[in-house]
Amino acid sequence: MQQQTDQALITAVLEGNSSAYAELVNRHKRFVFTMAMKFAKNREDAEEIAQDCFVKAYRSLATFKNTSKFSTWLYTITYTTAMSFLRKKRIATYSIDDEENHLQLENSISSYQANDVEKKSKYVYLNLAISQLLPDDAAIITLFYQSEQSLDEIGQVLNMESNTVKVKLHRARLRLKEKLEYLLKDEVKELL
Amino acid sequence: MKSIEEQIWEYIDGELSGKEREAVAKKIADDNAYATVYVEMLELHKLMAAVELDEPSMSFTRNIMDQVNLEMAPMALKTKVDKRIIYSLTAIFLAAIVGVSWFTIAYTHFPALPLPSLSLPSFDYNINIEEFVSPLTLQIFFFIDILLALLYLDRLYRSKKA
Repeated sequence: MQQQTDQALITAVLEGNSSAYAELVNRHKRFVFTMAMKFAKNREDAEEIAQDCFVKAYRSLATFKNTSKFSTWLYTITYTTAMSFLRKKRIATYSIDDEENHLQLENSISSYQANDVEKKSKYVYLNLAISQLLPDDAAIITLFYQSEQSLDEIGQVLNMESNTVKVKLHRARLRLKEKLEYLLKDEVKELL
Repeated sequence: MKSIEEQIWEYIDGELSGKEREAVAKKIADDNAYATVYVEMLELHKLMAAVELDEPSMSFTRNIMDQVNLEMAPMALKTKVDKRIIYSLTAIFLAAIVGVSWFTIAYTHFPALPLPSLSLPSFDYNINIEEFVSPLTLQIFFFIDILLALLYLDRLYRSKKA
């Protein structure tokens, strides 16, 4: 069976078929949840943010003008919702997080050292390093690598010029590399 | 001047024009510093591109749909505002404007338009007030006043109680 486009599903929802929205949720839930995880750092809060995003998107579906991809529009809602969540929860985005993550990181690394298989897992370290970044940096990296969004589209999501996104992406990748180097110390040469 | 890292990232992201791309490719081939950075960046790039998305809980979609079903169904804006109503109102107003304009033009004789002569109406200032004020009218006047006062007090009392 041919898969319906996002626009066809939106039209169906606007014509009163609200169950078509479940298909839209299923298509985009993994990325929205991943984005939310970059801000919330725990699954419960991330699920709350992600659910909130989809409900907000449903309420505003009639205002979606189809001038951009539905995913870009949805990720804009995700970003603003996640930022509001951070403000509400008064989570310090850098210094405190850094210290907390440091502790979490040491615990995580010691637990990984017990397991040779996991120790070798590049992705575990990479995810740890991404979780150490500022939420904005983590969001840019996630949007660029995992959401198939162009720099212009990322700019729309984050309300920035595409050139600013390019510079921020470059800096975020450098910071990520530094975090990885710190995390892995001697192993980084083997990993990279 | 762009740093080596910036040039390499642009090369990997495919953001360089033909000539720039060739120039960076040549540097990677000839210069050890470029080659080392390129290998590192490319590996990091591949790693990041291969990271899998997180999976929410099994009940995620169901929870959303439960909330969504409590919401008012969204409707396309065009169906919310019926254009026929707008057209009808426009037609009524246009017809009224045209009708009034036509009436004014049709019943006005411009050449014979006389200058208006203004004069105040004659008014007799010697009014005998006793002709109007009788004991009965005074009683009616006071009765209405008392009635209004009672109504006002009642409303005031009710608003304070609320």
